[in-house]
Amino acid sequence: MRERGISTFPAIILAAVAGLVTAVAMMDWMVVDVRTTGEDAVHLAIPFPLVVGEVAAAFLPEEAVRDMRVPVEARQHREQVLAALRTLAEMPDATLVRVETPDELVVITKEDDQLRVAVDADDATVRCTVPIAGVLDALESWDWETFDPGLVFDVLHAAPNGDLVRVEADDGTKVAITMW
Amino acid sequence: MRNRTLVVVAALMLVAGVASAQTSGRWININVDEVSTGTKVEVHLPFDLVLNVLDGVDVDHFHSGHVDLGTDVDVDWPKVLGAVKDAPDGEYVKVQGPEEDVQVMKKAGTLFIHVTGKGEDKEIVDVQVPASVISSFTVDADNRIDVKALMQSLADLPSGDLVRVTSSDANVRVWIE
Repeated sequence: MRERGISTFPAIILAAVAGLVTAVAMMDWMVVDVRTTGEDAVHLAIPFPLVVGEVAAAFLPEEAVRDMRVPVEARQHREQVLAALRTLAEMPDATLVRVETPDELVVITKEDDQLRVAVDADDATVRCTVPIAGVLDALESWDWETFDPGLVFDVLHAAPNGDLVRVEADDGTKVAITMW
Repeated sequence: MRNRTLVVVAALMLVAGVASAQTSGRWININVDEVSTGTKVEVHLPFDLVLNVLDGVDVDHFHSGHVDLGTDVDVDWPKVLGAVKDAPDGEYVKVQGPEEDVQVMKKAGTLFIHVTGKGEDKEIVDVQVPASVISSFTVDADNRIDVKALMQSLADLPSGDLVRVTSSDANVRVWIE
C-alpha cells in the first residue's frame, strides 16, 4: 500500500531547488542599473554574483596584469594611506566636510563603517558609499606593485547592502550600482 | 592686503601645527562663510587623520610636510622667533591708520594679533599664537617651515579659537576642540 507524502524524486528536486535558492541568496550580488532618456533611451539592469566576476578575473592573462604596474609614488604613500584609513575606521561618526554654494552641496560623512559622499548639484545628484574596513583590508593585503582585480572584489564583498553608487543627471540619466 | 597675507600664513602655520599635534581624539575645525558668493565651507577633521596624510600632501607651497613661505625677503627666522618667544608680555605693536588698526600683543605667553579694518569690508581679524607654537617654529634655509617640528610641541595646545576673521565679505573661524 502506497503511503501518503512526497515521493522521492520530487523531494530531491525540491531539495536541489531549495539548496540552489539558498546558495544564490547567500552570495553577494551586484546590480548595475543604467537608464538613459531620449530617442535612444536604454534601460539596462545587470545583476551578477561577485563570485562570477572573481572567477572571470582569475582567468585574466598573467602578462596583461603584470604590465599594469602601480606608480612608485603610490607605493611611497602606502603607510600614510593605511594609517589614514585606520584613523577613519576608528574615529566616531561625523560630518567631515560640508561645502555649500548657491548651486551645489557637497557633504562627506563617516557613518558606521562607511564613508559617504553626497553631491547635490543643479545638474546632477551623486551618492557614493565607501566601505572603509573593506578598502583597508584590501589595501593591507595588496602588494602595491601590480594591479590586482581581486582588490575590487574584496572591497565589494565588504560593502553593505544597498546603493554603492547612484548618479542621477538632470537629463534623466540614472546610473546605480547596488549591492545585495 | 599685507595683513590678509599675514593672517593666511599665520592660519596656515597654525592649522599645520595644530594638525601635527599628537592629540588623539581632538579635532581641527574650519568654517568659512563667504557672504558675497553664498559659499559655506565646514571642515571637521580629527588631528590623527590630518597627521597621517600631512606627509602625502603635495600642492603649491606645501610639500612633504613643509610649508614654503615663498618669499625672497631675507629674514633671520630663528632670531625673530627666538626674540618673540623670549619677549615679555606686553603690547608690541599698535598702529592706528586710516585703513586699519593693528595691535600685536603678548599675554601669558600667547601672541595675539588683532586687526580692525576700516574699509568697505570692515574686517576684524583675531589670531592667537600660543607660546608652544612659537617655540616649535623652525624655518630652514629654503624658507620652509618644518611642520614635523611643530608636532613635538603642540600636543598640549588648549582648545579654543586660533583664527577668527569677520567681515562683510566673509567670515572665517579656525578652532580646535
